[in-house]
Amino acid sequence: MHIPDGYLSPSTCAILYASAAPFWYAALRRTKKLLFTRLVPLISVFAAFSFVVMMFNIPIPGGTTAHPLGVAIASIVLGPWASILALSTALFIQAVFFGDGGITTLGANCFNMAIVGSLIAYLVYRAIAGRAAITSSRRVVAAALSGYLAINGAALCAAVELGLQPHFFTTAAGAPLYAPYPLSIAVPAIMIGHLTFAGLAELVVSGGVVAYLQRANPSLLRFTAPGVPLPQEETLPMERESGWRAARPLWTAVALLLVLTPLGLLAAGKAWGEWTARDFSTPAARQQIAKASHNVAPPAQPPSGFERLSAVWTAPFPNYSPSFIRKPAFGYLLSAMFGIGIIILLSILIAWLAAKAHRRPDGTHARPEET
Amino acid sequence: MANRKHRGRGFLERTTASFVDALERTFYAEETARADGLLQRVDPRVKLLGILALIVPAAAARSFKVIGGLFILAILLAALSQVSFGVLLKRVWIAVLLFTGVIALPAPFVTQGHVIGQLPWLGWTFTSQGLASAGYLVLRVETAATLCVLLVLTTPWIDVLKALRVLQVPVVMVTILGMTYRYVFLLLETAHDMFESRRSRMVGKLTGSERRRVAAASAGVLMSKTFDLSSDVYLAMQSRGFRGEVYLLDESRMRRFDWIILAGFTLVSAAAFWWGR
Amino acid sequence: MNSTNPSDAKQTPVYEVCDVTYRYRQVTALDHLNLTVGAGRRVALLGANGSGKSTLLRILNGLSFPDKGKVNFCGEPLTEEKLQRDGFGLEFRRRVGLVFQNPDVQLFSATVFDEVAFGPLQLRWPHDKVRQSISGILEMMEITHLKNRSPHHLSMGEKKRVALASVLILDPEILLLDEPTAALDPKSESHMIDFLVRSKGGGKTIITTTHDLGIVEDIADDTFVFHGGRIVAGGPPSEILNNVALLKQTSLLHSHLHIHKSGEVHAHPHLHQHEE
Repeated sequence: MHIPDGYLSPSTCAILYASAAPFWYAALRRTKKLLFTRLVPLISVFAAFSFVVMMFNIPIPGGTTAHPLGVAIASIVLGPWASILALSTALFIQAVFFGDGGITTLGANCFNMAIVGSLIAYLVYRAIAGRAAITSSRRVVAAALSGYLAINGAALCAAVELGLQPHFFTTAAGAPLYAPYPLSIAVPAIMIGHLTFAGLAELVVSGGVVAYLQRANPSLLRFTAPGVPLPQEETLPMERESGWRAARPLWTAVALLLVLTPLGLLAAGKAWGEWTARDFSTPAARQQIAKASHNVAPPAQPPSGFERLSAVWTAPFPNYSPSFIRKPAFGYLLSAMFGIGIIILLSILIAWLAAKAHRRPDGTHARPEET
Repeated sequence: MANRKHRGRGFLERTTASFVDALERTFYAEETARADGLLQRVDPRVKLLGILALIVPAAAARSFKVIGGLFILAILLAALSQVSFGVLLKRVWIAVLLFTGVIALPAPFVTQGHVIGQLPWLGWTFTSQGLASAGYLVLRVETAATLCVLLVLTTPWIDVLKALRVLQVPVVMVTILGMTYRYVFLLLETAHDMFESRRSRMVGKLTGSERRRVAAASAGVLMSKTFDLSSDVYLAMQSRGFRGEVYLLDESRMRRFDWIILAGFTLVSAAAFWWGR
Repeated sequence: MNSTNPSDAKQTPVYEVCDVTYRYRQVTALDHLNLTVGAGRRVALLGANGSGKSTLLRILNGLSFPDKGKVNFCGEPLTEEKLQRDGFGLEFRRRVGLVFQNPDVQLFSATVFDEVAFGPLQLRWPHDKVRQSISGILEMMEITHLKNRSPHHLSMGEKKRVALASVLILDPEILLLDEPTAALDPKSESHMIDFLVRSKGGGKTIITTTHDLGIVEDIADDTFVFHGGRIVAGGPPSEILNNVALLKQTSLLHSHLHIHKSGEVHAHPHLHQHEE
């Protein structure tokens, strides 16, 4: 999601630098007040950590891998302001030294990923985790969701920034000067990649790291859990089910929500006039997916189920739908949500079946082959 | 159930490969920065401002000629600074084509405008506006990326950071950036060792969820080490008198040569802005 | 156990550690520890890994503060409040230098030059004095060629030399060295030992922690043995090194090593002492 130089007009770049600046300033001030002399070593080493995490390949269902951003774990462990600083630092080094992201677009990239990402991650995490115990599985789910929403929030900002370029900046003849694809292509193309691949990677890393820290180093989770007592040593057993497995009922609930919401919204909706599955096979959309998914190739053709589903969603109650449902972009979003929900449900099902299949008579697990 | 070591491009291999790649880049960069080329002799602040002053019009200009001209200038500067074309090709030009080139590819077919042709079998029509748009994008990115790489390859990293002071970046941020850079390599190595040792202990394939747990646990372990490291570094800094303020040594003076180069950059940049408006 | 060493009675001891206890994460690192270090002495703190030596050095350097007991520095109590005062704090940092066991922690700057410059800059020395001192110390430690390198690319021996240089540039009167020869190749190790040997009688107070028995005789005038967070023995190196029972008890010696009774000590390339 790192936007290179040349994709955004100079005015867009300037606006985003100007938008990022107050946050940078505020972040520096707040972190200084919070950390005093620890500011330099903590932010530096954590920024280095973020940089390295961004290079991880996270395996996601389907056999592919994607790169995480690590923004949620930064916000959860350090709080949003230090996270803004640490991630901006990592992004700077990536841009200047590794050419990952542009220099004129550094303000935009920091705004999207470091600032918007950190704030969304923090707010969602606090909202869902509430005052749950530090080692509760609710925090794992909160972390996973905050990562998922943060990266998608960042992606949406990037998509909008890119999608607006051809609307405003063209030559006299009408040729787009910077990013060439309008909102109707940019948003769905970028969002699909992030609602699926990148979002899942972020979800896995965020939830997984918090689950790990709950067992290994719970005091690191203290900062964003104010007023919650740290667990005593005796109640921190390795045997206690925390993390993924205990959270499975919650995952199932989340997945069902994702699946049912589009259906729910559309049950009363009108037919998606302009949108058909065929649009999914335009090269533009596919290439944008490849870009958004950090070069993970999207499926070669739309899932055939897609085409049948679009017919299912032709609604019988035309009068109840708001007009925006008929826009192709929205249609993409909803089908993606639906897809995610199905993926999660399927993953849970497969994992459960695999575990059953590999359980030996004595109750222990044999080493399963890759599913 | 066959137990065999999986030697394919699993996620651990791919991750460690990118670590190694990152380390290699630094080696090369540190070497070129020591070579005796034109840009190496220029004051880092002049280079920072000058190259920025060229990147902005490259990213902004409305004229192909201007962007192309800046690109040619970048190539010329590279040649004069002993930056090998092979490296530019491999690390910059081809990488950009594979990324932005692929993204720009559909533009001719998707952009509305004056149709000037049609692909033989697929029948997709393309417009002149679309072609121009794709051209703008690719050329911009190539030029900007080349200029940025020039800065980094001809200047020691820490000098680039210290030059940021001229842009009014606070000293504390410059210090943080320097320390981050220094510790990126330590953490890369730590993560690399972690993954290598996991790989050597892995027999047979892991399930998807096991691999995810490995990845997440590795991130978790790395984070714990991160905190321990930062606490120790904090103590080490305090031990040498650190009390919250960071101080940089005052910079070397600008020579006449530097002023001349700065003037050159300014002129070219101004011209690029003017003709590209 | 109270341990004092023969020192000039008129001179205030550099350190007086009185009944210090320090706990860290459920572990008692230091347990009612007592220690006195006289000015100008070279002291070796012997102990197996984890015996609390590094913790003590951090306390002596004012980086950690004991839970119980107190530490006197040159006759005055060493407290957190005093160190926070600019005048005393900066002066203390100049007078007492600590070389950490892990050089990656101590070399936190982007280049060797910046690292060595850090201390003087923090002490607000004038910039030309800073530059001069840097070239001087780099030359003395024979690391001028490493000036612009990033610490990551250095060998362990080079890192330790840079770490030492970054402390020595301030010309501290008191040097605290944490396992200075650990993980060093033989050549670097002998350089380090030469440095410590040459500083005998130079007026500096040097406190070295180590578990390497082979170097103790060369680098120290006084030896103290750590065990279980306490000092269990103290005396000149020859006396301590001959106390086999003690060394075995404190895990500094194992049954497969041998000890010379002849009293002869030479610089062995590996850690053996033969019993005749």
